[in-house]
Order: sequence, then C-alpha cells, then structure tokens
Amino acid sequence: MYRTADGEEIFVIDGHMHFWDARPENWRNKYGEGWIRCFYDYHTSLSPEEYLWSFEKYCKYDEETLVNDLFFEGYVDVGIFNSTYLTEFYKEGFNTHRQNNVLKQKYPERFILCGTFDPRQEAQGLEELRQMARDYPVQGIKLYTAEWRDGSRGWSLADEWAYKHLEVCQELGIKNIHIHKGPTIYPLDKDAFDVHDVDHAATDFPELNFIVEHVGLPRLDDFCWIAQQESNVYAGLAVAIAFIHSRPRYFAEILANLLYWLGPEKLLFGSDYALWSPKWLVEKFINFELPVDVQEEYGVELSMETKRKVLGENAARLYGIDITARQEQLRQDSIGRQLAEFS
Amino acid sequence: MSQVTQEPYCHTPIPAGVWQQLRGVLDPEIDESILELGFVESLRFTGDELQVELRFPTTWCSPNFAYMMAEDVRRSLLDVGSVRQVLVLLKDHFTAERIEAAVNAGRSFKDAFPEEALSNLDELRLYFLQKGFLKRQEGLLRSLLQARLSYMEIAGLAVGDLEISDDVCRIRRDDGRWSAIDSTEQADRYLRRRAQLGLDCSQTAALVTDVFGDSIPADRLRQHYIMARTVRVAQEANSSMCCALLDARKRGLSR
Repeated sequence: MYRTADGEEIFVIDGHMHFWDARPENWRNKYGEGWIRCFYDYHTSLSPEEYLWSFEKYCKYDEETLVNDLFFEGYVDVGIFNSTYLTEFYKEGFNTHRQNNVLKQKYPERFILCGTFDPRQEAQGLEELRQMARDYPVQGIKLYTAEWRDGSRGWSLADEWAYKHLEVCQELGIKNIHIHKGPTIYPLDKDAFDVHDVDHAATDFPELNFIVEHVGLPRLDDFCWIAQQESNVYAGLAVAIAFIHSRPRYFAEILANLLYWLGPEKLLFGSDYALWSPKWLVEKFINFELPVDVQEEYGVELSMETKRKVLGENAARLYGIDITARQEQLRQDSIGRQLAEFS
Repeated sequence: MSQVTQEPYCHTPIPAGVWQQLRGVLDPEIDESILELGFVESLRFTGDELQVELRFPTTWCSPNFAYMMAEDVRRSLLDVGSVRQVLVLLKDHFTAERIEAAVNAGRSFKDAFPEEALSNLDELRLYFLQKGFLKRQEGLLRSLLQARLSYMEIAGLAVGDLEISDDVCRIRRDDGRWSAIDSTEQADRYLRRRAQLGLDCSQTAALVTDVFGDSIPADRLRQHYIMARTVRVAQEANSSMCCALLDARKRGLSR
C-alpha cells in the first residue's frame, strides 16, 4: 500500500512479477545464459543507478529479498506470479507455477498464481491443464507464444489447439489470460511481437480477459487497434512503465496513447520484478504528470483516480478482489503484522 | 531521435561515399539510420574490401531485422566505386555466424535459417516501410496543423502544393499564398518513402494519402492523423528502448 502525502491509501497489485532461478547450474544450454543476460541488459538499461543489482544476485535472489522488495519496500499488496517455464533453456524451468507455489502457500493472500498451457501438446496438454488446476491454486494463465518446444519456435493464440485449451480455461473458471507480447526472441521471419492472434481469441472468447503484457511493445500501435475494438483486452504495463525514469517523455506519450485508445479502466501496473523493482516504479508513477502539451494534444489526463485504477483497482476487478476485505486480511498475515510494527 | 551518437571506429582511411551510403541504411523497425543509432561499430578498408562491424543493442536482436540491416549495409556499400567486396560482421549477436555466412555470400534469409524461417522477409519489410511512411507523414501533418491549416484544407492539398528548397518548406494555401511550415526534413523523407513504396508522386496527386496511395476525405483525416501519431509513438518507443540498451552496453553496465 502506498500512502500519499495527504494520507490517501493506494492499494497496489503488481500485475507482473517473478521469482526466477537463473543460476548457472540451472542453465540447460547457452540459451539459459543468453536469456538472463538479455533480462540483465533491460535491467541495467532502464533502472536508476541506485537500484542496480550485480549479475550474480540477478541470477538468483532469495525469498527474503523478494518479500522485502515487494511488500516492505515496494508498496505492493498483492503480486501476480507470471510463471515462465523455458524448460528448453533451464533444467528446472525459469519460474514455473510449481516453484512459485512455494511462496503462494506461505503467503496465500499476497500472491495470485498463474499457470500455463502449451497447445502444441494437444490432447495431453488439455489433461495437464486440468491436472494443474486440480493440484495448484491457479487463478490465471501466462502464455508465451514464442516459447520453444521440440524444434518448434512458437505458436499462435489463434491455433485450433490453443482454442481447445482456452475452452478448458473457460470451463475451469480461469478467466485471466496473461499473454507475453514484448521483448525479442524467435520465431524468425514472422517475428515474435506480432499481436494479431490476440484479436481472434478475444473475439471468440468474450468471457475471458486477455492481458497483453508489455502492451505489445514494440508493436504498441497494433496493440492499440486491437484493444480498442475488444472490450476484454487489457494492457499490462510491465516494461513500458520502466521508461518512466530514463525516458519520461516517451513514457508520457505511450501512456497518453493507452489512455486515449483503451481508457483508464484497462491498464494494469506491473513491475516485471526482478527486471525492475516496484519501489521506484510506484513512487515515480504516483508523482508522474503528463506534460501539458501531451494532455492537450491527446485530450487525456492522468488523475490520482486513474493512478489508483492502474495501480490496483483494475487488477482487483479482474481477479474479483474486494480491496477493503483483502486489506483487512493482509493486516493479519506475518508481513502485515511486521509492516504495522514499522509504521 | 537517437540519444547515442557514437562515431564508428575507423582502422584505416575510408573511401568517400561510404558515409552517405551507411546513412541511408535504416533500422526497419525504427526508421532511423543505423549510423545515427550508433549500430556501426568499426570500419576497415584493405585492398578493395570494406569490412564493417555492426553491433546491435542486444545479443538477442531479432534475427530477421539483424539480417535485413546486414544485407542493406552490404548492398549499399557495393555501390561505392572503390569498394569491390564487403564483409559484414555482427559483433556479439547470437546468430552472427549464420547471418554473416548468408549475407556475405549474397544468400537469402531463408538460406540462413532453412529449418526455421518460413519465408523471406519481403512482407515484413513492406510492413515496416508502410509504418515508416505513416511516421514521416505524421510529422508533416503535425506541421500543417501547427501552421493552422484545417483538415478540410489539408485534404485538398496536392503534392505540387508542397515546395522544399534550400532548407525551407512551403505550402500553397487555398487563397494561392505560400506559407512556410516547419517540416523540411520530415516532408522530404515522406516524399522519398512515398516514391519508394511506388505511390503516385506527381504534382496533382493528393499530398496526404493512406499507405496504398488512396486519398483521405476531410472527415476522416483527423482519425487518420491520430492513428499515424500512435504509429510514430510506437516507433519512437522502440528507438528509445534500443538506444537505452545500446547505451548501457557501451557503458559496460551489462557485461
């Protein structure tokens, strides 16, 4: 929770965070190393200097660090585990729902656990999806269409088997589908950023919500056209919001576009921790103002009410969280009690 | 647009003409010159061979765009009179070997990645040429709006109503008078891209068209401008991201 200078409390849901294991002993091949180095590049490029980690720490941080950076330092009330598998790059996976569930069990009200599916597994995948929902408290799904599997370099949300998996999600009541459309990797000639497949799925599954993580960057424009047409497509601000420090003007323009095309109800804050730390992102976002010329040109404003929505209320609505009731629960858990002692 | 303006390191004297050619090679996603973006690391000219070392913002730069830039560098430098051979090297890129082998032998992207690439890159190239077209046009439109032209008046403009000479850009108004507009570079870049896309550039053709060369009625022009603006912001965000990554890389933060 963030408390403003005049005492207003802002409930914060970090819509995109990780607890990854990228230790060299977990690298399956050169891609495991390449992947975490790529993440580290993003970390060093956009973080304020005082928040830079060593590469070693970046490869593996412990539970205490995460709990501190999110809940004690970073104003976060609830974090959404965007589980990421990459089992072709990491022996035990990068941060699977199994790994993330350990923290979910310790602090059940502090985390939302996302699972996944891979349509290339076809019928077996449907069974695994059902099994996962039986065994784990999965409330959302994280998809990565550029993920490698058995020689394949990616898939599309519009594929026949993707649809069959989405049908099962609907049946199981797993409504929120986070889909990564962002940083560079394969497939080669189609390029992995293409967001158009979301359009098809969103139209055909009106009961599901599609949260496009990283707002389709670098395809912000294509994403905006789709999200404007589809009432169930949302913008996950992870990566985009990290511009706020070193490139505030671009962040202002990106945000103005999102507010113009999607409106304040469809934007979700996400730090992408440990890519970046929520502390500085939340602080800078709360204090951020759109330049006057941008406000005038786009006819949008970034009010405190909009900030509240982006930082927590929108994600709470998608996940059926009653903020007042949840705050009361959070005050009672071990983190909440420690926070009360500090203040 | 670029924040990084680092000159390439020259191991030897470099033939005249090379710089202009390199300036013309664009990052297709960003629509900016790779020279200005700081992607050209070093140059070496021995005998009649020019060796060009490129370094992209990350090891993981998408291979399709890496290939396109490497290919464009080679092709454009082969047009320089004293250069008979060009060797393009990608420094610290995860598919450097395959891209170098294909590009330097004049082979296609599909040849470089036979088991992975489904097709060649023409479609993707066109898609980004069109995005660049919109970005450049947005700059021109912005200047026209700043000069207080109405959408109605803009919709009626023809290519011949725009005059670019000696760093001055003028537009012929409804009443026949000429007004200066602040858009020389954008307007020039816009017209060049328009020609590159094979669209009608004759004096009587509509000045503002969609990516297929069709004119846009006045009542749809505002919406068109708003969309073009988003296309521009997306490209600038990419440029900004690439520059931030490259900057960190050059400062040695990431290694």
